[in-house]
Amino acid sequence: MKNKLLFLSSLVLVFIINLFAGNIDPYYYTILIYIGINIILASSLNLINGYTGQFSLGHAGFMAIGAYLSVSFSTYFAPFFIDTFGQGVFGNSISFIILLLIGGIAAAIAGIIVGVPSLRLKGDYLAITTLGFAEIIRVIIQSLDVVGASQGFRGAYIFENGMKAAMIPADMSSVPYVFYSVPKYTNFFWTFAFVAIIIFFISNLMSSSYGRGFLAVKDDEVAAESMGVNTTKFKVIAFVSGAFFAGIAGALYGHFNLYINPEDFNFLKSVEIVVMVILGGMGSMVGVIIAAVILTILPEFLRGIAEYRMIIYALLLIIMMLLRPQGLFGVQLRPKKKK
Amino acid sequence: MSLLDIQNCTMKFGGLTCVDSLNTHVGKDELVGMIGPNGAGKTTVFNIITGVYNPTGGDVLFKDKSVVPLKPYEVAEIGISRTFQNIRLFQSLSVRDNIRVSFVKSIKAGFFISTFHIGNYLKEEKEIEDKIDELLDIFGLLDVRDEYAVSLPYGEQRKVEIVRALATSPELLLLDEPAAGMNPTEKTELMSLIKMVKDKFKISILLIEHDMKVVMGVCERIIVLDYGKKIAEGNPENIKNDPKVIEAYLGETHH
Repeated sequence: MKNKLLFLSSLVLVFIINLFAGNIDPYYYTILIYIGINIILASSLNLINGYTGQFSLGHAGFMAIGAYLSVSFSTYFAPFFIDTFGQGVFGNSISFIILLLIGGIAAAIAGIIVGVPSLRLKGDYLAITTLGFAEIIRVIIQSLDVVGASQGFRGAYIFENGMKAAMIPADMSSVPYVFYSVPKYTNFFWTFAFVAIIIFFISNLMSSSYGRGFLAVKDDEVAAESMGVNTTKFKVIAFVSGAFFAGIAGALYGHFNLYINPEDFNFLKSVEIVVMVILGGMGSMVGVIIAAVILTILPEFLRGIAEYRMIIYALLLIIMMLLRPQGLFGVQLRPKKKK
Repeated sequence: MSLLDIQNCTMKFGGLTCVDSLNTHVGKDELVGMIGPNGAGKTTVFNIITGVYNPTGGDVLFKDKSVVPLKPYEVAEIGISRTFQNIRLFQSLSVRDNIRVSFVKSIKAGFFISTFHIGNYLKEEKEIEDKIDELLDIFGLLDVRDEYAVSLPYGEQRKVEIVRALATSPELLLLDEPAAGMNPTEKTELMSLIKMVKDKFKISILLIEHDMKVVMGVCERIIVLDYGKKIAEGNPENIKNDPKVIEAYLGETHH
């Protein structure tokens, strides 16, 4: 009950702040939105890596699926959305909810396809499989002309003869067309509404008896299984919910940036999210959120030495491993007993 | 009718036969001990019963149904629970939450109800809390329920493991060396604990143990394994005087 009230009041707060968001300097506004998107990404990965203990390295892949699918729908089917829901605030909101759900559900389905076979693997193997999956997704997108291939995707051309394409084909240059750019739906409200949703989702799930199953899987799979916990089911649930929220984050990102490129979702993006989770402390929600905020703001201060960003991340991780292996806010447990 | 029936069960790992055509049973409300020298295949038998291993031959019946095709979590669902030789408690969970994990399988609230805390969620959580507290009270662990389970003394960790196994409401409880690492006082306490569990929860217990005092003290029937074969079975008195058992434990007898 307390959680529900907190959730609703935070939604109201986000809505009120959004009314004044127009006064925020565009530069800071952009950073704010990216902070929100990164919190969603890091928290959803925390569900897989932190709470359930399955090391996934492919979160950018799910984000890519969510981004590309929802953006494709909002451009290729722009006339449909405009005709059906209109372009008022209310109509746009309904369109956007549908588009976000499309992104999330597509990523969740991808999560099932990748998760069911690969969650039989453990540790390094799972990391490598998920990493491979994310790279496959990126390479596929890179060669898909319908979403602009390696040129990136900024909108759809709908020709008078009914043809649709992301770029004007050479033989169609004389045909009249309408260009539908990616609509700028993402704003402060939607981003932080989903931040509130994912926090509500994870804290409720993890505080329930059912949620203890995830932690049990992380601590000791053999014991969990012997106590009647279907470990495969729990791993798949964590993986698929994580993928769902990554897809939503991707859809938010696409409708904010208005231009998406396969390189936005490369290996380094996956690593960035993993770093947020490890830095914040696996399985600590507050820690991961703070790490997501820090790691979004930090590069802005380091613009001058941007090419050394990954070196700084690596150093940060090494220092963390030495000084606070449990992460900024992770819980220090007694050292594991020797077997 | 026996609760658990092990029929001609064989387990081979490559050329090594760990369990060799084992035939035995555990009756309802019976307390059976399984003893044998190191490497005799006792824990392997447990792993076969709980679905960790699929036997290479023979069958294991629980309430006349084979458990061989079942996965470990399904075996727990039909009413067989176990403890481990090396304590396997969930290290990031408190004592209470360790036991809460046992209720995951019987919980009615699924993923959505647990996420949104709707419907009977609160009522069910309360029921589980009460059951946990009741169990902890029986075992005198109520005071430490919020501590990390792995921070407890060794003897209490063993107890928590037994409580966790009991919380799955089993009909057959498998205890894998519950007295290992305990001092004589703790062992005496454990013996009365095991008897109490059996009487209070009306369950059958199959017990692996090296400590003869414990085995002879609580078990109604004893199975002796050596090199995967059953070399003797009977009541404690007979086992104590069985020449084969003495030979397995002490080597050839020299008088």
